[in-house]
Amino acid sequence: MLESYIRSYNDAVFETDKEAAMAVVNKALADGVTPENIVFRLIIPAIEMMMAIIEKDPDANLAQHFMTAQIAADVTEKMLEKFSQPPEVIGRIVIGAAHGDLHSLGKRIVSGCLKALMVEVIDLGVNVSAERFVDAAVSENAQVIAISAMMVHTATGENGSQRVRALLQERGLEQKIKLAVGGAPYRFDPELYRKVGADAWAADGVTAGKMIVNLIREVKNDTA
Amino acid sequence: MTPLEILAAAINGKPAPRIPIFCNLLDQGARELAMTSKDYFSNGALVAEAQLKMLKRYGHDNVWSLHYVGKEAELLGCREILFANDGAPNVADFVIKSLDDISRFEIPPDITQVPAWQSVASCLQILKSEIGNTHPICAYVTASTTLPVILMGMEKWMELFLLGPFELRDELLRKCADFFHQYISALRAAGANVLVYSSPFGSPYFLSPDKIKKMVLPWMKHDLEPGGVADVVYYCGMAPFNNVIDLVFDELHITKHYTSPLDDLTTAKRIINTRGLTCGVIDDIKMIHWTVEETRAEVKRIIDIGKPGGHFLFGNGVMPLAVPEANIRAMVDAAFEYGGLE
Repeated sequence: MLESYIRSYNDAVFETDKEAAMAVVNKALADGVTPENIVFRLIIPAIEMMMAIIEKDPDANLAQHFMTAQIAADVTEKMLEKFSQPPEVIGRIVIGAAHGDLHSLGKRIVSGCLKALMVEVIDLGVNVSAERFVDAAVSENAQVIAISAMMVHTATGENGSQRVRALLQERGLEQKIKLAVGGAPYRFDPELYRKVGADAWAADGVTAGKMIVNLIREVKNDTA
Repeated sequence: MTPLEILAAAINGKPAPRIPIFCNLLDQGARELAMTSKDYFSNGALVAEAQLKMLKRYGHDNVWSLHYVGKEAELLGCREILFANDGAPNVADFVIKSLDDISRFEIPPDITQVPAWQSVASCLQILKSEIGNTHPICAYVTASTTLPVILMGMEKWMELFLLGPFELRDELLRKCADFFHQYISALRAAGANVLVYSSPFGSPYFLSPDKIKKMVLPWMKHDLEPGGVADVVYYCGMAPFNNVIDLVFDELHITKHYTSPLDDLTTAKRIINTRGLTCGVIDDIKMIHWTVEETRAEVKRIIDIGKPGGHFLFGNGVMPLAVPEANIRAMVDAAFEYGGLE
């Protein structure tokens, strides 16, 4: 039964039709699906299916990524208020736009997906210094630092990800905190993430959710 | 033949000694004049001087009147640009901070009277008097559906564009289109002869082709109708757009296409064919870490695809400052070497 909801929900999301997607969720609720099952058996599988679709479909576009994250985050937030007990979180990340970068869309898409996937997201905003990324990750006990950079110099500059990597190394944090990057320059040079010292990258905000969840699991396994 | 004649020959499929070679160098101007980015961009005469010096240094075909993309936001009231000495300036003050600002947002009655226009005007005046009869002088105009990105940020614009309130969205689009009409007309009058129409929302990377047709195309038509498209180049901010090239031909009648390195060039050339000009674009972000040999090999690959049958131009995107000068030199030299037609 939930499979048909997932299909209808993703069809609506793929058409960037928020009203239709919300109608599917409301119908499921009216049919007696619990808020917990809405999140864990509808929204999360729908995001995972969307990740698979986007990975395979080169024609998936930014509007679809945006709506996937936006709707999932909205629904999850509403459902969490109705949960009988707080859900278990997978992990925690700090996210922000690189030093000198004022673009915020990418991190919003990533954050929306992660929140729906039960990852706690601490958003540091835009134009974030390397020191602030690392300090926040330590104080928040985050497993991942995620840095968005939409301009070439903010992706490759010495005050961006490269500096974060250097600080993680200096402070002996490389096993405890992984570094993820994303943004336009990385799409043009898929090897660029290695050159700026990151552990992983993703070509879009939705699949970034999957990549970050994998990094969180890696850290938890390494430090267990 | 002059570079302008070579460009015309490529567009019209006429004989020429070589293909046109565009090298888009913007932020390099400050380095050329050994200045900070902020000081350099504050004076249009300096921008023109650097463009002419770099033209002489590399020998490519085109110059730019564009200072930085945020210049259009400054013309509309943006009060702060974040300059960087290692990259492109960034809009730091959004003119539209909340949806309530849209009704208060006004387009100046005459943008050529706005202080931010003066540096563009002085740059174009110099370029026109020095090389206006011989070289392509490029200007950059942002489509009405994309301009809100630098006025309110991509995040808020994407939300307004897709989720509404749609009356407000359309009010903002009408104002942006009014600005577009003034701006492109002012650039033409000041001497720009290649108008790069930047329309990322006209790329399937941003929206589905169906949404482009329904939501973006009508505004693009509205943008371009008054002045025509004879001097206009379709460009999606380096985003791919092969899937809408036919639509752009049929509905907008734009015949010059500045493709994305993320597009398949063979496909783009096949679609455009002899109907117009295919601009094959090198991935200049990869040029940051390429060797001279790798750069030359990529130039050769692109020209080998594009040159047969003519109607082809070689160019780069927006050269990152981190690209070594040796690679810029190698790119231009290889384009001359492989781009010969005689």
